[in-house]
Amino acid sequence: MTELDTGAPVVPETAPPDQKIKADRGFLGRAGIVAAVLVVAIVLALVQSGSGLVVWQSVVTGILTGGLYGLIAMGLTLIFGVLDIVNFAHGAFLTVAMFLSFGMIQATGLHPYLTLIAAVPVLFLLGAAVHRGLLSGKGGGSLENQLLITLGLSLLLENGLLMFFGAEPKTIDLPGDFQFPLLGAVVAGSRLYAFLGAIVLGGLLYWLLRRTRLGTAIRAVAANAPGAALVGINVRRMHTLTFAIGTACAGAAAVLAGPLVTVTPTLGEQFNITAFVVVVLGGMGNVVGALVGGLLIGLVEQLTTIYLGGQSSLLGVFVVFVLVLFLRPQGLFGRRA
Amino acid sequence: MSARMLVAGLGALALLVTGCGGSAPMGAGGAAAGRDEGPVKIGALHPVSGSNAVDGLQMRRGAQLAVDAINAAGGIKSLGGRKVELVTGDTQGKADIGQSEAQRLISAGAVSLVGTYQSAVSTNVAVVAERNRVPFVMDVTASDAIFSHGYQYSFRVQPGSKAIATAAAQYLKAVSDQAGKPVRKVAFLHEQSDFGSGAADAFTAAAKQLGIGIGPNISYDATTVSDLTAQITQVKASGADVLAVAGYYRDSLLAAKAIASVKPGLNAVWGVSNGAYDQPKFVADAAALGNLYFSTNYHYDATNPETVALREKYQKLYGDPMRTGAVLSYDAVQVIAHGVEQAASTDPQKVRDAIAAAQVSPLTVGRGQIQFAPNGDNRNAFPVLMQVRDGRVQQVYPPEKAESRPDYRVAWRP
Repeated sequence: MTELDTGAPVVPETAPPDQKIKADRGFLGRAGIVAAVLVVAIVLALVQSGSGLVVWQSVVTGILTGGLYGLIAMGLTLIFGVLDIVNFAHGAFLTVAMFLSFGMIQATGLHPYLTLIAAVPVLFLLGAAVHRGLLSGKGGGSLENQLLITLGLSLLLENGLLMFFGAEPKTIDLPGDFQFPLLGAVVAGSRLYAFLGAIVLGGLLYWLLRRTRLGTAIRAVAANAPGAALVGINVRRMHTLTFAIGTACAGAAAVLAGPLVTVTPTLGEQFNITAFVVVVLGGMGNVVGALVGGLLIGLVEQLTTIYLGGQSSLLGVFVVFVLVLFLRPQGLFGRRA
Repeated sequence: MSARMLVAGLGALALLVTGCGGSAPMGAGGAAAGRDEGPVKIGALHPVSGSNAVDGLQMRRGAQLAVDAINAAGGIKSLGGRKVELVTGDTQGKADIGQSEAQRLISAGAVSLVGTYQSAVSTNVAVVAERNRVPFVMDVTASDAIFSHGYQYSFRVQPGSKAIATAAAQYLKAVSDQAGKPVRKVAFLHEQSDFGSGAADAFTAAAKQLGIGIGPNISYDATTVSDLTAQITQVKASGADVLAVAGYYRDSLLAAKAIASVKPGLNAVWGVSNGAYDQPKFVADAAALGNLYFSTNYHYDATNPETVALREKYQKLYGDPMRTGAVLSYDAVQVIAHGVEQAASTDPQKVRDAIAAAQVSPLTVGRGQIQFAPNGDNRNAFPVLMQVRDGRVQQVYPPEKAESRPDYRVAWRP
């Protein structure tokens, strides 16, 4: 059912070697196909625009923006994979963390990235409270209720922020931000940091899930909750922890993305749709898949603007989304962490 | 259990009853009665919640300041000094809510409506106004489509989208010629909805007549875009010497950041009805990035002492600089009050006729007094060219409205 980091449950460590090799080959094959399609797409873009510089800049921008998308989608995919909760409030959590970061910078003059020390724990606690208070009880039992609760929560948070901070757009300045040319394309330092942050966060989550007792327990709960309970794992506590870790990821993403965006209470909407597409594309519950999915969506967005000029870049994103759903409903990397 | 259900049922019933009790008199027949006694009601519809809440709130306050000014000067004299009252509605930035709120305000006895900041909302409110035969004076509404339907009750104070884009092309030609660097080719970057595309189309048409080349024409989705570097690189590769930008606040700020990092070989950045480049907020947010940016838009008249006094008052009361939208709301309410004064009546149809014939001096930049053409558009609406100079937005063209002379160059090139 759920497929968090499904390498383990579906192809367990004890699986016969040939089965594991087969899974690896399938994964490599898919990655190869995706890479080949990408190369063709980039060549087509080159033909279409006739300017190597424009296409190269698009690819660089696409990869950097994609890292940001992956960063935002990671917490979402974790919550989805383990708890089966479609968390519409993820964008709102992101916004809350961004305002927290903004508020701290205003009040104390901290370096924006240093606000991580507050944003991550606060969001962790917020996530735990929301799960314990709203979602894990009787009210959050059914799928419809979860949808309505998270949707309602996002409205509540957004309008709360609006009331408290006002709708005036705010900006977070990164001291000492720089940009450097990369073979003619321009790379902004803040975007590079966000991209690197996404990779570090992805690595941390991967390590947490695969190499620690906690991660093993989380994966066990995702694979089979009654079974996990039988061997002495507190399922409810694991659910709360996972939800809290997921929102803490939103906190980290918010701090890293803060200098790149204009901070408004409705900011979450902007990323919610893209984040969901990335989650489905990468395979629900697959953290590394979310990162790769983010990169793909970033590239698709940029290339769409080259192909179709005036059209919304979301058009290309959703064409890819529908194609993936049609050809591989479990997501591109749905069976492999 | 059953007791609890009973209580719940009773509660629901009570809610229903009071709900109906509240709305019934408004809906039925109460309209005329509400207008004949007590203060003269003017209905203000703005988005005071949602993503446009800052502007919406500014505009509601602007309208309120106008009402206060009218009351302080003795109210409506032709009605024996009756006071004016602002009844307010929140559109939440949504067309359907705007429509129902308009109906509510009219039922509550509003002699006229003012609003709404967004074209889509104004389009719906204009229909309600027409159906109820209540005049609707728009403060901010860019779309020109509303004025092609032959509506009798719709009026607009600000210059329309086409007027601004056409003026932007003419000013560009004049200013670049004056600077000895005549414009050759303009790249147009715009958000893809009616607002941005409409501005791009009108600008292109006007530029062609003036012999200015246009291209590339690049659009983006303002709701989701998070980086415009590739688009600005495209501008750089095209060799255009001017970049025109028609966007909202957030995306225009992104464009400014991308321009600063790509540094294309431009002579000027030219905002067309741009939602950022004439805002004091942009000057603060973008700091050095936005220096020397131009913008053609409607604007409060910085050369009018009355406007200066009004903006000082606003700043003192609310602690924020007063935006042009709020000054337009102020103007629109003045127009309505003038209409009521001339009509010496609170009958919306008589007020409508008086507004159609009104002549009111605006606090926003205009060619003269506010006067409405037969289609309801302000005949003397007049866009002005502004530039970010010395850390603030200054009017630079045409000369009779200029605070300083235009400086036709960009900050990152000598």
